[in-house]
This record gives sequence, structure tokens and C-alpha cells, in this order.
Amino acid sequence: MGTSKARQPTKTAVPKIQPLPRKTFIIDNGAYTMKAGYAPEFPPPEDEDTALSACSVIPNALAKTRANKVFIGSQLSTHITDWNEVTFRRPVEKGYIVNWEAQRELWEHSFLDERTVGSEDLRIASPEETTLILTEAPNALPVLQKNADEIVMEECGFGGYVRSIGPSLNAWNEVYSLFGDPPLQKPDAPILPVECLLVVDSGYSHTTVTPVYNGRPIQRGIRRLDLGGKHLTNYLKEVVSMRQYNMVDETFVMNEIKETVCYLSSDFSGDMEKTWKANQRRLQMEPDESITVEYVLPDPNAGKKGFMRPHDPLLKAKKRKSLLSGATTEALSEDVLILGNERFTVPEILFTPSDIGLKQAGIADMVLQSLSVLPTGLHPSFLANVLVVGGNCLLPGFMDRLETELRQIASAECVVRVRRPKDPIRSTWLGASRFATNREELEQVAITRQEYLEHGSGWASRKFSGAIKAAPYLGLT
Amino acid sequence: MYRIELLPGSSSHVTPGWSYVPDRGVGPAKAAIAPAVGRKRGIREPGGRGNLSSRQSNAIIRHLAELDRENHKDVQIPVPARQRETAARAPRAKTTTNSRRILQSQKTFRNYLDDEEAALAQAAQTTTQRPSVSKVTKPTNLRRSSTPAQVVASKPEPKRQKKVPAPTTAAPETTLSASTGKEGKGGESTEGKEKEKEKGREEGEGEGEGEDGEDAANTLISSPFDNDPLLRSYIPSAPSERIMQALLAEPPLTYNASRAGPSASSKLPRGFCCICGYWGKIRCKNCHLRTCGLGCYKVHEDSRCGAFF
Repeated sequence: MGTSKARQPTKTAVPKIQPLPRKTFIIDNGAYTMKAGYAPEFPPPEDEDTALSACSVIPNALAKTRANKVFIGSQLSTHITDWNEVTFRRPVEKGYIVNWEAQRELWEHSFLDERTVGSEDLRIASPEETTLILTEAPNALPVLQKNADEIVMEECGFGGYVRSIGPSLNAWNEVYSLFGDPPLQKPDAPILPVECLLVVDSGYSHTTVTPVYNGRPIQRGIRRLDLGGKHLTNYLKEVVSMRQYNMVDETFVMNEIKETVCYLSSDFSGDMEKTWKANQRRLQMEPDESITVEYVLPDPNAGKKGFMRPHDPLLKAKKRKSLLSGATTEALSEDVLILGNERFTVPEILFTPSDIGLKQAGIADMVLQSLSVLPTGLHPSFLANVLVVGGNCLLPGFMDRLETELRQIASAECVVRVRRPKDPIRSTWLGASRFATNREELEQVAITRQEYLEHGSGWASRKFSGAIKAAPYLGLT
Repeated sequence: MYRIELLPGSSSHVTPGWSYVPDRGVGPAKAAIAPAVGRKRGIREPGGRGNLSSRQSNAIIRHLAELDRENHKDVQIPVPARQRETAARAPRAKTTTNSRRILQSQKTFRNYLDDEEAALAQAAQTTTQRPSVSKVTKPTNLRRSSTPAQVVASKPEPKRQKKVPAPTTAAPETTLSASTGKEGKGGESTEGKEKEKEKGREEGEGEGEGEDGEDAANTLISSPFDNDPLLRSYIPSAPSERIMQALLAEPPLTYNASRAGPSASSKLPRGFCCICGYWGKIRCKNCHLRTCGLGCYKVHEDSRCGAFF
């Protein structure tokens, strides 16, 4: 362990108290992508799309291609055309920033270095005059939190800084219309968080459930399932590699396949029967109602992207025939994966982790586990306000499945409403941007550079964990 | 006669820790099935009801670690040096010792977590600092301090009447499946009506919405059965603001304590065919992997049997 005190500024200690910088930059630092951009000025745009236009999604990874070239951050989406055998290095492990060497380089590249920053909207010209809002996954290790604080303040030198648990920021979003409630917000009043919101965040590294009360997390209710999008991709990769082609090195391709074909089944055993090979022959289903699909793998040499199409059981026979008749080579060159029960058994592990032997509860059970440590009086309000964010909830059927399962296990008196924001990936960022417009709230949790230099990183961690407070925040009205 | 078996640790990484386990007198693979149970029963009850053999548990742990990987192969991807040399960040390139140490650290999450666990274990020997789950779940002291003076005799409250037609003086019992210690408490404490306005808000948000039509009907039409104890719906009232403040002020759980526990439902784990993914109806007599039928079993026997266990 190093010293917890920050190094004192050389001698130019500013005598008067510095205010928090007005410009606020938000980084929702996910394991897969960073969602970043400047917060708007006070009345935040009503329209969600306008508000989100300030937010960019940048891959949070270094990638090495087959040709041994290394690309970083936003270059991934522009420079790489051949995604075969691309390997990744991610600074975020298990949802927490672990490797700061890589993370700093990514930040440099994406926000600080003027020659590589994609657009002017993302450039942090002078960190000293910028407040940074950085999100973190809940239940982070204190060491990692301390590392983050020290890097942000000492290495990057931001003028103001807030480290906040990501899911709880979603409470600042305008969710009333999503749940079909009358809006409480008066048009000119400052943005306030909703009172009760249960945030299910299903991301790349894990899935968490966070009860949020007035914009603050109830720590004892936070639960985590150690399965996320990465595990789904790897599982699909493994299954396909065993049954069909060896795809173990094709992480990116398999991820695209997962996003295209996977869905959560509402009738698991029924779908299972439909995809059974013996039944397929017997039932002779219409191609459009069959679950089995084909995925044509991308062909980087021909510049073709992968795509999904209905399964044609006679494809092999046709191929053979065309080969004999000496037809075009087009159909022959394409590689096809046939995906049957893989389509729904793979994402199923989020709801039934015991399928792969993991002794943890599925998402719906986890929600109840989280509620079970809260006063029962809160259950109705939380169950009626379940917000799902994170990339996995974009899988078709995810929302229905969660709502159905929750309805089954929740108490009959409670209303269960499960909703997903329009953009579940950038929802946390959007919430943070609305939070940033409420200066009063922001100043309560933020620290300035001066304060940090004066009190050190130990104080900063205590401040962000809520142990040091200016005044307790007592709800609205 | 004893044999040596590798027991799975509680942690998810495989460390070569050895321990002695009495031999049950059957073949090594068959140790999964309790010896008293017949062979057929063992096949019919998948997973042996959580009594996985150490080999199986280790295989699961290895599989989960495999799923957790970023790349299939271990690769080193260095940060490109191209940007480092340009010294564009010279003006503020005053790296402190702290940040240099952090930047140069090659520790993985696993290392940090191990450090954390060790520190916690050490702290637990002296004093308990961060609460664990089991301790948090019974906040008796919390409640005692937060509701000092209670109005015991509760008068019927107009707002609550739409849901609970005739509140009795007894604390409302709930049918919710929470820890019993808290149920009475949550209701009782707010029976005192310290925070009526807060409760009103709570209701407006949690219960009133979404079913307002039905609610209106409930309040308008009174029936002779309103007081029937069997028909009463027990929705506990929201806790007071002081309880909420106490809840919000709690420190975060540790990384391990926040992990979701095993599922409460007593459903048996499902078994799948290791070849085609259909239901695993039969189990290989050698390696206990499941297959759906003879077709897949043949493939399994010819190619992959014994590959894992």
C-alpha cells in the first residue's frame, strides 16, 4: 500500500476556495464501451435523442488484428475491417477499472490528446476547468476506488470530480413517461431523481440489481450475478466450436452472431422440442416458423458482412448439386453456421445459471433476494418500478421473460412493471447528464481539486461513499 | 485404503490444494452418486441434488473461468508506443509516485480481490469493520433507534383505507416472503404515522399507479365483505424517512457479500445433451456427461468421452 495522502502542491497553494468547474464531462466507463460526453446546460433537452447526441460510445479496448497491428479505442470501429482472430485487451475487469496503464491510454486517445480525439465534442481541452463524473460498478474494492481517485486527480488533473455508482444515476432520467405515470416534474424546477427505482444493469461483465431511493443506492440491497454479455458470447463460442466450426478465436464474430440470433425463450421446453433434430425431420415445419436459422459468416476478403437467414435443410444437397453441375462458386465459398437450440439456451443462463453449474440465482430471483433485505413496505414501489439497462436487455424476449418471472415469484399484491429505456446502453450516461444540470446536488457530492490536494485520497473515498456529507439530503418537497 | 481427491475451493480459481477424503469403495467417477442410492436413481436425479463430486465441481469452476476469459489464448497487447513518444502531454506530465505506481501495476482483479480478502480476514480477527450480509439482515438496533416513541393505538387512516379497509390495532402481517424480523417492524413503525406525507407519496407512486381504475372501484363500492379478515389484502406501509436515512447511510457490502446467493427454488438443475444441446436423458457410465439419446451417445463415446472428467 502506498501513502494515502496526495503529494502536496509544490508551493502555489491557492488561498481562496475554488468553486467546482462549470463544465462537466461524463464518462460511463463500461467494460465493453465507454459512454462519454459533455453534460448540457441547465434546462436539459426535453427530447431524449437530442440529449443523447452529446454522448459517444467508444470501445473500451485495445485490439490486435491478425496482422499484429494494435488499434485503440475509437480506431476499432474505423480501422479494422477484418475481424477474424482479433484479440482484445480491456482495462476493465469484472466491471472495475483494473489496468490503469491501458485505461489512461484510452482516455488520452479518446478525450485528451487533440490529434486523436474523434470530434471536438469529446475533447477535454483543459481538465483543470472540467468536472469529471466517472461511474463505477457497485461494490468495488476500496483499493481500486482509491486508484481511480488518484489517477483522476493526480495524473489527469481534473478540476472537479465525482465518482458515482453507475446504476443509481439512472434514477435521474425521465422515467415517468416510460412507466406511464403522470410526470411530477414542473417544467422549470431543477431535475430531481425519481423516488424509488430498482435498476437491473445487465452489462458485459456482470448483472447487478440496485435499489435506488431518491437517487441514492440502498447498499445492502445490491446484488450481483457474475454473468454478463461476455459470458454469453464465450458460451456460444464454446458450444458452436464443439458442434460445428472451431470459432474459439473469433470473439468479435461470435459476439455479432449472438446479438443477431440469440433470444430469450418464453417457452423453453417447447422451443427445445421444436429444434430437436428428430422432430425437425418429422414435423417438416415451415421455414419461417422454424427456430433454426443459418448465419452466414463474414468474408473479409470479399468484403462481405455476416448475416442471418432462415435455415434451409436442403442447403447441403443443393450445394453438392451445383458443384456437380459446375455452377458459380458463390454459394460454395460461404461458410454457414446452423443455429438451433443455441439461439435460446445460451442467453438462458442469465435466468437459469444452474444450466452451466453456477450456483447463483437467475436475474428474477436475484431481484427478490435484493428486496428481501429491505423493509417490506418498500417492495411494492420497487417492484412497480423496475428499470433494465445494459446491453443484454436488447436481446429479444429479455424484457418479457423478466416481467413474467418476476410476476410469478413476486407477491400477488404488488404490481410488477419492468421497463427498458429507449437506449439502455447510454441510459446511465443520460441520467448522469441530467444529474449534472442540478448544480446544487452535484456540488454536494463532488470534490474539487483543491479539496483533494488538501485532504488526500482517503478523504475522497470517504466523501464518495457518503460518510462525509455537507447536509443530509432529505427527499423532495 | 484412502485416495487423494482435489476438493474445489470456495474461490473460483483452481489452486492445487489437496485434502484427504475417505474412499467410498466405488470407482472414482461413481463417487458422485451416493453409494446408498441405486444406479438408476442416480441417473434419474440429475446433479445428485447438489452433491457434485469434487471432480465435477472442479470442472464447473474451470468452465466458468473459461467463460470469463477475454480471449481464448493468452495474449499480450502492449499499449502502442506511438503516442507515448510525442510528449504532447508534457505540460502536466508530472507523474506523482502514487500514480506511477498505479500505472505500472500489472495486478489483475484476482490479485486485488485476494488482497482484499486477506485484509478483511485480518480485520475480522480484531474487529468487524464492514458488515456482511448475515449481519445486515436483522437491523434490530437500527429500528430501536429510529422509532423511539410509537403511537401504539393506531387510528384508522383515511389514505390507507382504499387498500386496507379496516386496519386493526395489531401490526399488519404480511404474506411477503421477507425476513420475519422485519415484517412486523416495517408496518409497526409507520403505524405511528410519523411521516404521513411521505407515505402518501409512496402510495401514489407504488400502488396507486397502473391500476388506478381498479383502485377507484375499490374505494367507491363498499361491500359487506370489506371487514372479512380472509379477504383483506395486507400491503405493508412504507417505512419512515428515518429508517430510509439509516438504510441509505449504510456502508457498501464487500465484493463477495454482494454476490447473489443460490436460487431459493427447489428446482433441480437441468441436464443437457453435451453433444447437441437437447435434454440430457442418459448419462455416460464413464464420465457422467449427459446425452440425449444413443445417436449422440455414440458420438460422445467415440470422440469426447473422458475428455473432461
